[in-house]
Amino acid sequence: MYHLLKGLHEHLTRKEEFSVIIIGLDGAGKTTLLERIKTLYNDTPGLSPDKIGPTVGQNTGKITLPSTILQFWDLGGQRGIRNIWHRYYDDCHAVVYVIDAEDRERFGEGWEVFDSVLSSPQILGVPLLLLANKQDSPTALSVEEIRHDYEDWHQRKLESARRSARYGENQDGGRSELSARKERIASLDVMGVSALEGTGVRAAVDWLFIRVQNSRR
Amino acid sequence: MGLSISTLFSSLTRLVSWGKEQDVRILMLGLDSAGKTTILYRLQIGEVVTTIPTIGFNVETVQYKNLKFQVWDLGGQSSIRPYWRCYFPNTSAIIYVIDSSDHSRLTTSRTELLTMLSEEELKGVPLLVFCNKQDVQDALKPEEISEQLGLAGGEKSRPWSVRGSCATKGEGLEDGLDWLVSAIQQK
Repeated sequence: MYHLLKGLHEHLTRKEEFSVIIIGLDGAGKTTLLERIKTLYNDTPGLSPDKIGPTVGQNTGKITLPSTILQFWDLGGQRGIRNIWHRYYDDCHAVVYVIDAEDRERFGEGWEVFDSVLSSPQILGVPLLLLANKQDSPTALSVEEIRHDYEDWHQRKLESARRSARYGENQDGGRSELSARKERIASLDVMGVSALEGTGVRAAVDWLFIRVQNSRR
Repeated sequence: MGLSISTLFSSLTRLVSWGKEQDVRILMLGLDSAGKTTILYRLQIGEVVTTIPTIGFNVETVQYKNLKFQVWDLGGQSSIRPYWRCYFPNTSAIIYVIDSSDHSRLTTSRTELLTMLSEEELKGVPLLVFCNKQDVQDALKPEEISEQLGLAGGEKSRPWSVRGSCATKGEGLEDGLDWLVSAIQQK
């Protein structure tokens, strides 16, 4: 009888588990974001921001939502260790890319890396959320500005590619790449957060919660 | 009704396990002369002690913040490494110490680490790697060591962190422990 009830209880309260990876340049605020998420959703608070240094390795976090468990992996973002990200692509259900909206000097580098994430075939169909972090800073770019900055950067990149390539070559290839990119952009969202203060973090988690249900990879 | 009883039960067990967490067992492992014993006493008494190669183990209770760590520092010589596994049950976390200046034995250190991590009893246990002796001139950086250890991708079930440290100066130890405490509590 006990086992019957226990089994029934387990069946009713069974939760599906989804994996989310958090990536982005070093210093973007990935670990601070993850620890903030833990503090907001779990009983035991995450590490406080002043205790957080550059990550070499992986930080994990698990939060329980109605009928769903989100398992986060926060991966180090320094130049030399970015090549580990792709090893997590195969079994993730969503990708969060964090950009430091305040650090104008590194936007170019940030978009370069972001673009390579966008075009990774393993995660082409996976929901992708771009978070413009550090919105608590008065000099941070807003979500709209971030979106424009990325579009501008991409336009410039296309133009310089066109200029350097001989006319007539690779035109078709470019076109199909463009349509793939359009599709990718369609499943992308941009949101503003302050991992430090926690603003926008719940909205971002809600977005993930809804999108992983529908992604079903 | 069933639900409320189960939530009551889980919050009760959490209370009990919180009481227990006052005493967490941490294993400190690594090849011989990596600096395990130096780290242990640096953490416990805040001083650098002169050590001799450990045969057997040193075990000390380290009070850190509100937690009491029982740190087991096991000898690292190749002849006694097979005995590490006797200490694996009931381990809350592993601190693995690497001599960053010992380039030639990094592969050995890697093999010992990976063999240990594959043990069923240590599944999901948080791992902190101290790349010790960062003050030595040609010490490898944590990023380089991390790359060579190749933990990325293969160790998805556990949190792990690779950090630089210098036990004789006490650098990096506290930051590492803060991370480890947080990782243990989140489990």
